This record gives sequence, structure tokens and C-alpha cells, in this order.
Amino acid sequence: MRYWVALLLAGILVTGSVGNEPTGKRRTKLDPATHWRPPIQADAQTLEVLRRINSVDAYEVPDLGLRKDENYAFTAEKVKPFGYVEPFKRHFLEQMEYTGPGRAKPEPDHVDTVKIGFIGPIMSTVSVATGGKSHEEPMGIKMLQGVRLAIEEANASGGYLRRKIPFQLVVSNDNGLWGASGNEIVKMAYKDKVWAILGTIDGANSHIAIRVALKAEIVMMNSGDTDPTFIETNIPWVFRCMGDDRQMGYLLVDYMYHRLGLKRVGIIRASNRYGRFGVREIRDGSRRLGRPVVLEMAYKVGAEDYSLQLERLNRAGVDAVVHWGDASDGAHILNQMRKMGMDQPFFACDRCLLEEFVEIAGPNAEGVVCTSPWNPARTDPKYVAFRGRFRKRFGEDPETYAAHGYDGMNMLIWAIQMAGLNRAKIRDVLAHRAEPWPGVTGDIPLSACLDDLGEVFLAKRENGRWNYYSREELELPPRYVPLRDRVKRGAPALSAR
Amino acid sequence: MSNQQSLCRSPIALGTAIVLAIGWGLPAVAAEGLPYVYTDWKHFTVKDGLPNDHVFAVRVDGPRVWIGTEDGLACLDKRTGRIRSWKEKDGLPWRVVSGLDVDPKTGDLWIALFGGGLARFSGGRFDHWHQLNSGLVNDVVYGVAVENNNVWAATTAGASRYNTVTGEWTIFTEKNAPMEEIWNYAVTYADGKIYLGVWGSGVLEFDVATERWKDYLDPDREMEIDLYRDDGIVHVITTGTSFVDGILWVSSYFGMSRYDGRHWRGFYAHETGLPSDFGNAVKGRSATEAWFATDKGVGVLTDFATDTWVTYTMEPKTHKGRAVVSRGTKVLKVVDMERCLPHNYALWVEFDGNDVWVGTSKGLGWASGPDYYPGLKVEPIAGEEGESKNAARLAAAEAMKQSGVSSEDRPQ
Repeated sequence: MRYWVALLLAGILVTGSVGNEPTGKRRTKLDPATHWRPPIQADAQTLEVLRRINSVDAYEVPDLGLRKDENYAFTAEKVKPFGYVEPFKRHFLEQMEYTGPGRAKPEPDHVDTVKIGFIGPIMSTVSVATGGKSHEEPMGIKMLQGVRLAIEEANASGGYLRRKIPFQLVVSNDNGLWGASGNEIVKMAYKDKVWAILGTIDGANSHIAIRVALKAEIVMMNSGDTDPTFIETNIPWVFRCMGDDRQMGYLLVDYMYHRLGLKRVGIIRASNRYGRFGVREIRDGSRRLGRPVVLEMAYKVGAEDYSLQLERLNRAGVDAVVHWGDASDGAHILNQMRKMGMDQPFFACDRCLLEEFVEIAGPNAEGVVCTSPWNPARTDPKYVAFRGRFRKRFGEDPETYAAHGYDGMNMLIWAIQMAGLNRAKIRDVLAHRAEPWPGVTGDIPLSACLDDLGEVFLAKRENGRWNYYSREELELPPRYVPLRDRVKRGAPALSAR
Repeated sequence: MSNQQSLCRSPIALGTAIVLAIGWGLPAVAAEGLPYVYTDWKHFTVKDGLPNDHVFAVRVDGPRVWIGTEDGLACLDKRTGRIRSWKEKDGLPWRVVSGLDVDPKTGDLWIALFGGGLARFSGGRFDHWHQLNSGLVNDVVYGVAVENNNVWAATTAGASRYNTVTGEWTIFTEKNAPMEEIWNYAVTYADGKIYLGVWGSGVLEFDVATERWKDYLDPDREMEIDLYRDDGIVHVITTGTSFVDGILWVSSYFGMSRYDGRHWRGFYAHETGLPSDFGNAVKGRSATEAWFATDKGVGVLTDFATDTWVTYTMEPKTHKGRAVVSRGTKVLKVVDMERCLPHNYALWVEFDGNDVWVGTSKGLGWASGPDYYPGLKVEPIAGEEGESKNAARLAAAEAMKQSGVSSEDRPQ
């Protein structure tokens, strides 16, 4: 109660204080705790966070109130690991805090631009994941488009408002060869001196990047890696603004078993980290619901012939196939399935929502169901306006990676405007936002481990177009029912519909 | 001492002492004594000549203390107190020094460079190995360890081994080692074995003689839980390893572990003297003592058998220090001191005889302990009760010890 009163008072005290500091390279030294004026509108919670982080020196840790989740990642009781045992210790339920001295670093006097790093697969190279040619450029280039648009729009609105200097994007290719993405992050953190970094898509490179970010103490915003383990690292510098394969896997599992009543599901996946970790929740969830995956087959990324895997799946008598891998592989697998007379329902990951999938699969795409971290068919004004601006800038519609890249970069820009040029404070205002980020991809509520817990969807290919369905629209039980509600209303029925 | 001994030999005195002890609520633990607490600390920062306050690594080599920072290498001469430093302009190949080790045969200093590869400092000259001129698998090097004629580098894309005699490089990744992930974070060498702390792959043990690997993974294989206590390493995201006296000590961002070759023991902040579960590094001093550098101070398990801890922290507002002695979560003693850690964000621990060095993100701490003793020792308990009470407590504790009354036997 006292906390909220303090928040309210802080809000009253600083309301109307939005404004810019005088421009120029030499600024009057003021007590930041009382004189810090965010140049954009700030809510009371953010102002209070600012007051507290600006009140500490290199040795103190501000009391920012750590977020506590009752449940990890909205995991339903029935698919919790070892659900019949209370674990000795649960992780990721309480927010990590940064306790280092970084908040005391003053904003530099001489800055011509405010640099923000981007790392993504934008040029063809060699991939650690596949041991061959890289394959994620179509996604990385889209992500860069969304990020560029966010930067351009911020600069059109005055750039970094406190100094009236532009934001500058420092772009690095996500070079998977021998883990060289780590070198890129080091370069951005220490040589380019960026204030925050956005990227990347490949799970291995993302992990390498965040290990570096932790040591270099810089925010890493991810808008393209759906690997659930990315965020399961206890690093207080890491954020993700996209629903992951855990969330999407839970939805698909519920749909397959509760809605469709399937009993013998088979998996075909890429033999890389994306495929391996992507299906993990589907495999585990199926088993925990008493319908273990009949067979899981891996294929080499970019393979042309999948008959070995498909024949074995068919022989195993699967009544549905789940694919986790790139769009082109997924489409070729689907075509080959149909050619072999396999008419089982085909489910796939969100990568198969890319145009490439439909182009290759053609009419076979009809009826396919894909997971999706967002609903691009939404018609809310914010998204529609973004789509219009994106079309104008790039001559095409934004897809998943572009839209999430846009949201992620805007979150970083917002945090920089709020906190100023201090990496630790940029982290703080992002990590302690009270409200979900109102993104073009939908609301982005962060969990205690700073992962996006927003709603995810299933996309069905119907009459030549993708239609998106929420959990509610699919009449599926809620992701997770808090204990208090279960006591009141009883647990939702999990029997097959 | 002689008085205490004579007291203990008298059955009446013994009984009286026990009654007194129980009556005063003397903790059962006091009978087992208290650990050594470091109270004499010195700090070194940029003001004292360090090239940077963010200290990632410390390595003691006789009178020299090598210090790796976020912006340069330093060497403190304990005899003179003088600090020399090297930055990129002085020939250091890259600014961020993340690990250090000294070759005992040659005295060469091996330097892990975070994003800059591997370097050797010898005869005033830096030699440099990186991805493009050697078999170093990646330039982001987290740790370095000298093993016989070999130098091991823990990199973000595998481990590399360099034979300093033959010049041969060997790369270890998922292709030839049981690395579920290749993100190496720490490397140490002891007793013929290399221990790699691998982010996402627990601890890997490499037997130098047989060239065989052994892996230590979290048995429940789930990231979000630790299913059963003491069933294995607490988590696969490990950050440090230290092998001493047949015991493997492990730090992770999720808690710490100890392995005696047969049994695992996990340590979490909620049930021990660990200030936090976020372990940046670990250094074992013996089979029963280990120092854990965490983001909220340094937790020292001083006596494994009795679960006795000393937690060192700095009071952020006054910069004064505090050591809390505890058994499990029960506080036995609080020692306030003028100074302790330079900062609570601790990144490294290094032993130096009876002394200890602690690298933090805001300076280097040197804890001097000329009268250090391992394990526990019965000592007078200073405090508000006064000397007479302390003496009685001491007598009672000593009496119980000599009469074979263990803490478990006493009424609670």
C-alpha cells in the first residue's frame, strides 16, 4: 500500500515535467534523482523507477520491487515436468536483478549519435547449426527492415530527444561460423559502444550473444529466436519480445489432443538446434498428457529427399505429422507426403507461415495448421497504421520477423529515451515496466524472466489464406489457471473434446 | 586452557557447564566452534593504479598478483605495493582480460582475452593467438588453464588445447567431446584432470592420461526446476569449477554444488550462507572449504561437515564490511568491520597462502589472514554478555567436546 502511495506521490510530483534538457555538449550537472526529466511521457511507475535508479551510487542497489510469477510460463498443471512431485527448487519465478555498479556511470559528454546494435542473419555465410550454408537470411533481412523502420521513425521524431541527436543502427551479420557472433557482440559492446543490442534468430548464436552481453553488461533484446531455453539462463540483461516455442507448443498440444482428439502424433524436424529444442514441449507435453509422440525423425536442413523419414512415420501409423524446421523444408516435406499418399493432418512451426512455404507447397498448403507468435490479421489501428508505413517504406507487408523487430527496437528506443545513455538504467526501465509493451504485434507482457508471455495463435490455411485463432476462439482451456481460481471454479476439463 | 581442561575433568563442573550452556541457549553449533573470519581487508582500484575497476580474474604467482580487468592487465607487487599495468597501447592484444594462469615451469602468464583470443606474456612481450592465426576455436575466451605442457582455453564455441612444446592445437566441440552445448565458460586443471564448466552442458571432466571424457549433468534435465536435492549438479548452466582434495566444487547461476566422487550436495541461498544463487565463480580451498563469488557478496562454506558459512558483504551506504557466520540459515555471529569487499558484485576468488583475493566489479579486495585456520575452532564469543559468560560458554563447549557429547546428543 505504502509503495503505491509513494508511486502516486511521485507521479503527482513529476506530472507535467516532461521536457527536454538544454541542448549542447556541456550540460549543467544536476542531481539526477530530482532533476532527471524524461523527454517523453512517462507513467508513474516508470518515473518512480527512474527516481530510484538515479538515487543510487555505484555500490547501492535500488529497490525496484522484483516481479514474482506464481507459475513458470503459464505452464498448465498437466504438462508440468514431473508434475506428480513438488520440485526441491523452482527457477525463473522471481525476477533477476542487476547488482553491479553500472548505474553510476555518467552519461558521456560527447556523443554524436546514439548507437544501437543489430545482429541478425542478413548475409549468406556458414551456419554452425547446419554445418553448411546458412539458411535464415530471409528472416534476418525482414527483421532488419522492421528495425530500420523503427530507427527511421524515431529519428524523424527528433532522435534522442535529450540531446537532439539521431539514433544510429550498427548492423552486424549473424555469422555462425565458429561462433563468430560472439566476436560481433564484443565489437559492438566495446568498440562501437552501442547502448543496447537487438538480435538474433539462430538459437546457438543467440545464446552466445547473451553470454557476452552478461559479461559486457548490455541489454540484449531478442525478437526472433523462439528457442525456450534462450531466456532460461538467469541473465538479468536479456529480454525477448516474441512468444516462444514453449508457448506455441503448449497451444498446439492442446489443439491436437483436446480439440482434435489425435492419439498418434509423429514429428519430423530439422536436425539443428531450432528443430531439436522447438519440438521439446510438444514431445514432453504429449507424453505428459498420456499420448506420447509415436516417432520423431530428424532431417538434414535443405535435404531434397525426406522419403526415409516419411516412410517410417507412415509405417508407425501416425495420425498427424508435426514439422519443425524452415519453410522450404516444410513445404517439400508436405509435398512429398501427399505424393506418397500420406493424407494425415500437417502441423508446423511459425517459420512455415513465410510466403516461401505456400509458394512451394501450392494447393497442398490448404488445411495446414501453423503456430504463430502473433496475429497479423488483426485490424487494430496501431497495427494497421504500422502495416501502412511498412508497405510505404519497403513495398511489401511486414511479416513476423519484421513486426517483432520493429517492436523490439521500439522498446529499446523507449528505454533509452527514458533512462538516458546508461546501459544499466536502460535495462532497469525495461525490466520494471508496469504495463505490457503496446506493440504492433499485440501486447507484450514480460514474465519474471523477461520473456514475452503474450498470447500466441494457431494459423489455419483456409480457402487460400491464413486465418488466425486464439486459444479462446479454439475453445481450448486456459493456459494456466491460478490456484485461487481453481479453488473457486475447479480446474478446466482437459478431456478430449 | 589449563583451567578449562581441569574444569572439564570434574564431573560436577561438566554438568554445571552443560546446564549453564543449555540455560543460556548456547547454540549447539558453538560447541563445534567457529570458523576463521577475515577482518583485515585492503582495496585496490583505479586510484591505486589498476587500469580498470572491473576485475574479472586474479592469479597469484609468488609475490606477484596478476589482475585481469575490463580494460587492461595489471600486476601488483606485494613486496612494494607497486602496480604496473598494460593496456592495448602497451601491447596487450585486447583490452578485456577474462582469465589468467601461470605456467609453473616457465613462469609465463597466459591470458584469456574476452573477444581477443589468447595471449602469453613472457619476457615483457605479448604473443597472441586468435581464430585466424591458430587453432583457437573462438576469440571469446572465458578462461585459461595450464596443464603440463598444454594450455587450455575455454571459449564460447568449444575448448582449445595448445601444446606449447609441439605447437599442436586440438579443438574440442560437440563433435569429439560430450558437449551438449559448446559454450565453454570455465576451465581448471587439477590432479591430472581438466574440468570444463560449460554453459548448458554442466561440467566435463577430461582425464589427461586416458584422454577420456566424463560429463556431469543435472539428472532431471529440466531448466526450470531442480527436482530432487543432491541428485546431481544443480543446473547445467555452470560458471566455474574447482577441484581440490578429491572434491569438485561447481558454481552456476542457479546455485552451487559439491561432488566427492560419490555424492552430490547442492547449495542454495535460501538454506545456506550463500548471499545469492547467482554464482560468478568458485574456488575450493580444501575438501571442506570453498569460496563462492556471487552478485550479492561472497559466500564461504568454511566447514562442509557442519554446514558452517561465512558471508562477506559490503554495506553499500557506509562502505563498511560485515561477515555473518551461520550454520545453515542460523546466524551464529555477526562481525562488523571497517572494510570488507570492495563491492558486493564479486567475480573472482584467488587464494594466496592464508590470504584471499577477491575480484569485484568495483575493485580488488585483499583479505589478510596471518592467523587463518581451516575448519572450526572454539573461541570466545565476543558480545554483549561479557567475558564471564563467554568463558562459561567456552568451558561448556569444551567440556561437551571432551566428554564426547555431540551437538546431536544434546537436548534442543
